Amino acid sequence: MRHRLSIAAAIATAVAAGGAAHAETVITQWDQFAQSGITAAGPAMDELIATCKPALGGATVLRTIAPSIGIRESYRLAVSAGKTPDLAYTWPAASVLAGYARIGALAPLDAYYAQYGWPQVNEFYKGRNSYGGEIFAVPMEQDLMGVYYNRDLFNEKGLAVPTTYEEFLALAETLKDEGIVPVSFGNRDRWPATNTFSLILGLTAGLEAEQDVFFGDTPWTNPAFRAAAENFQDWAERGLFPRGFNGIGYDEANALFLSGRAAMTITGTWVLQDMIRGAEFDLGVFMLPPMADGVPSGTMWGEGSQWQLSATASDDVKDAAAAYLDCLLSDASREVWVTKGHTVTIGTTPEELSAWGADPVVQEFFGAGLATAGTNFYDLHTTLPESVTQVLYPELQRLVGGDATADEFLEAMQAAWQAAIDNGERWIP
Amino acid sequence: MFTTRVAYLFLLPALLLYGAFVLVPVGQVVAFSFFAWDNGVATGFAGLDNFVRLAGDDVFWAALGHNVIWVVLTLVFPLTAGLVLAAILAERSARTIRWLGAIYFIPRTIPLVVAGIIWGWIYNPIFGLLNYALEAVGLGGLAGAWLADQDSALISLNVVGAWTFFGFCVVIYLAAIQSIDPSLYEAADIDGAKWRHKFRHITVPLLRGTTLFLGLYASIEAMRFFDLVWVTTQGGPGYATEVLTTHVYKTFFLVGDFGYAAALSVVLLAIVLTISALAFSLLRAR
Amino acid sequence: MNRRPRIVQSAILAVFAVYALAPIYLVVLASMRSEADLFSGPLALPWPLDPTNFLRVWIEGGFSGFFVNSLIISSSVTVIILLTAPLAGFAFAKIRFAWREPLFALFLAGMVVPAPSVIVALYGNLQAFGLIDRQIGVILPQAAILMPFSVFMMRTVMQDIPDELIEASVMDGANPFLSFLAVAVPIARPGLMSLALIVFLFSWQEYLLPLVVLQTDALKPLTVGAANLQGRYGIDYGGIAAAGLIAFAPLVVLFLFMQRSFVRGLSAGAVK
Repeated sequence: MRHRLSIAAAIATAVAAGGAAHAETVITQWDQFAQSGITAAGPAMDELIATCKPALGGATVLRTIAPSIGIRESYRLAVSAGKTPDLAYTWPAASVLAGYARIGALAPLDAYYAQYGWPQVNEFYKGRNSYGGEIFAVPMEQDLMGVYYNRDLFNEKGLAVPTTYEEFLALAETLKDEGIVPVSFGNRDRWPATNTFSLILGLTAGLEAEQDVFFGDTPWTNPAFRAAAENFQDWAERGLFPRGFNGIGYDEANALFLSGRAAMTITGTWVLQDMIRGAEFDLGVFMLPPMADGVPSGTMWGEGSQWQLSATASDDVKDAAAAYLDCLLSDASREVWVTKGHTVTIGTTPEELSAWGADPVVQEFFGAGLATAGTNFYDLHTTLPESVTQVLYPELQRLVGGDATADEFLEAMQAAWQAAIDNGERWIP
Repeated sequence: MFTTRVAYLFLLPALLLYGAFVLVPVGQVVAFSFFAWDNGVATGFAGLDNFVRLAGDDVFWAALGHNVIWVVLTLVFPLTAGLVLAAILAERSARTIRWLGAIYFIPRTIPLVVAGIIWGWIYNPIFGLLNYALEAVGLGGLAGAWLADQDSALISLNVVGAWTFFGFCVVIYLAAIQSIDPSLYEAADIDGAKWRHKFRHITVPLLRGTTLFLGLYASIEAMRFFDLVWVTTQGGPGYATEVLTTHVYKTFFLVGDFGYAAALSVVLLAIVLTISALAFSLLRAR
Repeated sequence: MNRRPRIVQSAILAVFAVYALAPIYLVVLASMRSEADLFSGPLALPWPLDPTNFLRVWIEGGFSGFFVNSLIISSSVTVIILLTAPLAGFAFAKIRFAWREPLFALFLAGMVVPAPSVIVALYGNLQAFGLIDRQIGVILPQAAILMPFSVFMMRTVMQDIPDELIEASVMDGANPFLSFLAVAVPIARPGLMSLALIVFLFSWQEYLLPLVVLQTDALKPLTVGAANLQGRYGIDYGGIAAAGLIAFAPLVVLFLFMQRSFVRGLSAGAVK
C-alpha cells in the first residue's frame, strides 16, 4: 500500500512542480526502518526524507520498507531479476557487499567520497565497504557487543562487575549456585551464536590473529581459534546458559534476562532501546574482559547496515542519491537518528550522545565500546561470505550444543572457508 | 459426440495456467542446474558440475536421510494409528463416527505454519507447556530440550507432522471400511472370531489399496514438506532436522547459488516422480 | 463381543482425541489470558476471559488486514480453479481425443511436484512479468500448483455422469459448452462443492509462495503474518496464540459445517 501511496505522492509532486527539470527523477529506496513499535526508526527516516528534500534537487524518494529479516533474500532476488533498487540500506556489510560488487551490481562511490568527504567513515569502515580498491557503500549504524547485566541482582548478591576472565567465570559460578541463569542465551534463530562467538574469538585470539585468517593464509584450524572454540563450548558445559538454548529464540532469551531469571545477556547495541524500556531493574552494561593472556581489551565492532547504490541507476539518480546521503549523514541528521530514530550512527562521539540527552545506558555502552577503538575486532557476520555463514550457523549450534568438538568445528569451517576462497568469494579490504 | 477440437478448447485454460506456472519453471530449473551462478547471475555453462557436487555434500546426504526417516516414521505411526482407529470406530454408532472423525481431522485443517508455531511453543525448553506440565505432575526428570536436542529434534517434529496427518488417515480408512461388504464380518462373527482376527484377516487385507494410496501420499509429503521445519528449527540444531527442501531454500535464497539449488531441486523432483511411478504401477497392477 | 476389549478400544479412541484436541485447547486458553497471568499457571482456566490479545493482534498487529488478504487470495484461487478444472476434467472423462492419455499423465505428474523445487525458476518469471509483491503473483501460481489435483478429482467426478444424458443434450443441438453447463455441472455440483472447499483450504494453508512473493506487509496472508509474529512480539504468547487462532479457526468452522463435502473430496480417488 505504501508503495502505491508513494507513487501517488510522486505524481502529485510532479504535477505541482509543473514539470520542473528534475521532477521525473525518482530514487527507489529499500530500507529496514520499521514504521511501528516504540523503537522504530521509520518515522525518523520519513522526517529526514522531508528534511533532505532541498538536497534532492527536485528528485523524489520512493520508499519500500523490507523487514530486516528478509531484506537479504529480497535484495538478492531483485538483483538477479535486474531490478536492483537505486538505493538500498541492507546488511551485512563487507563480504556480502563484495559479492554484489564482484558481479557489477553496485556503483562505486569513490567520486562521491571525494566530493562530500564523509570524514566519519574512517579507514576501518572504508575497508569494510570496499572491494577491489573501490568503495561501494556508506555505512551508517554503529553496532557494538557488550554484556547487559542486572545491577539490582548484582547488588543484592554482593557481586561486582568482573575485570578479568577468571572473575567472570567465578561470578558465573556464584550465580549458578544461587539458582540464577548466569547468561541468558537463545540460539534457535541460528544467528545469535555468531555474535557471541565473534566476541569470544576476538577476546581469545585478538584482532591480529583474526586478520591472519580472514585476510591472510592462516587456516581456521590454528591454536588461537581452537582456544576460542573451546572457550565457547566450555561456557555451555559449565552451565552458563539456560537449558535447551538451541531451542530458545533470541527474543525469548532477552525476555528471560528482562524477567530477572538470568543475570546477564551478551548481545549488541541494536537491542539497547528495547532493553532500556523492558528492564524493570537497574540496567547496567560492561565489556567482557580479555579471555587469553596478552590479548588487549576490545569488543566486536560492526557496522549494522550500509547504504549502497545500484550500478543500473542513471547518473541523475546517483547524483541526487549521493546528495541525499550526504544530508542523511550530516551532524543535524545524526542528532535526529540518535534522538528520534534510536539509532547511533558511526562517528557519533560519547560527548555528542551526552549533549543530545541520550539515555545514560546508551552513553555507558558507547563510552566503553568506543574507548578501545584501536583493538576492536571483526563481526563474523559481516566478514564471512554467505556460503561460509550458512555453514557457521549449524556448526556453532553443534559446537555449543556439545555435538561437535572444537577441532571438528574448525575443520568444517576451514573446509567451507577454503571452498569460498577457491570460488573467489573472499572479501579482502 | 465431441470433437478433438472441443476437447482441446476445454483443456486450454487449465493447461495454460499449469504450463506457465509449473511445467515451464520445471523445465527452467532443469536448465539452471547445468550452469554456474554467482549471486543470482549465470556465469557460464557448468555441465554436470552441480550434480557431481552432490556426492560430496554431507548436508545433502543428511537431509535425504532425514526425509527417508520421516517417510518411515509416518508409515509406522500415523498410518497404523489411522487404520486401528478407523477399524475400531467403524463398529460404533453413526454419531460417534461423525464426532470422533471430525475431532481427529481438525488438526489437518490447521496450516502447518501455525501447527509449527503452536508446537514450537509447547516444546520450548524454558517457556514451554510440555516441560511445565511434566514438572507440575512431578515428572520434571523427563523434561527435555525437545526440538533443541540433536537426538530428539526430528522425532519431536514428527509428532507434530503425525498430529496433522493421522486424522486424514482415519477418515480415508473409514470410507474404505464402510465400503467393505458387511456380510464378511457377519460370517466371521458367526464363527466366533475375535476382533483382532477380523482386523487382521478381513480389514487389513481388503484395505491394501487404501494403504498403498496413503503410503504414496505420505511418502510424497515426507519428501516435500517445508513449512513445519522452517518455522520451528530451520533445519537445526546443527543439521538434525535438515531436509531436502530446507537445503534447497538455504542454497537458493541465502547462499544465492542458483545452479546448485536447481540441481538439488532436480534430484528432489526425480525422487518424487520415481516414487509415484512405482506406486502407480503397483496400484495399476492390482 | 466381551466388554474388556471394548473398554480398551474406547480408551484408545479417547487418547487420540486428547492428542488431537489438547494443543488446540491450550492455544484457546493462552489466547484468552492476560500477559501477566500467562506464566502463573498455563494449564489452569483463565479468568476473567480477556479479549485484549485478540484486539491487539487484530488491530495493532494488522491481522484484520492479513485476514482479508487470505480471504482474497484463497477465494480468487478457488474461483480460478472452478472456472478451469471442471472443463478439463470433463474433457478427460467424456471426450475421446488424440494425446488424451499422455496429457493426463502430464497433469498427474504435476500432483507431486514440490513447490520449493519450482520456486527457484518461478520467482524470476514472476519478477520478469512484474508480478512480484502483488497478490496476483501468488494467486496464479497457486492455482496452477493445485490444478493437477483439481483436474484429477474433476475427472473422477465427471466419469459418473451418464453418457446418455450428454448424448441427448448434444442431439438437441446444444453447443458443447452449453451442454457441459446444462448437463454436467448440475450433476457434478456436490463434487464441485468438495473441490471448492479443498482448494480453499489448501490455498489458505499455503506459506512458502506468499512468503517469497509478497514483500509489503499490507498484502500478506495470515500464514506469513503469523510466522512473522514469532520475532516481532518476542514472548507475547497470548498474542501469538490469538493470531494462530485467527489463522485457523475459520478453517475448523468451515470443516465442521461442511464435513461431508470435505471427506468426499479428500477420499476421491483414494477409495477406488
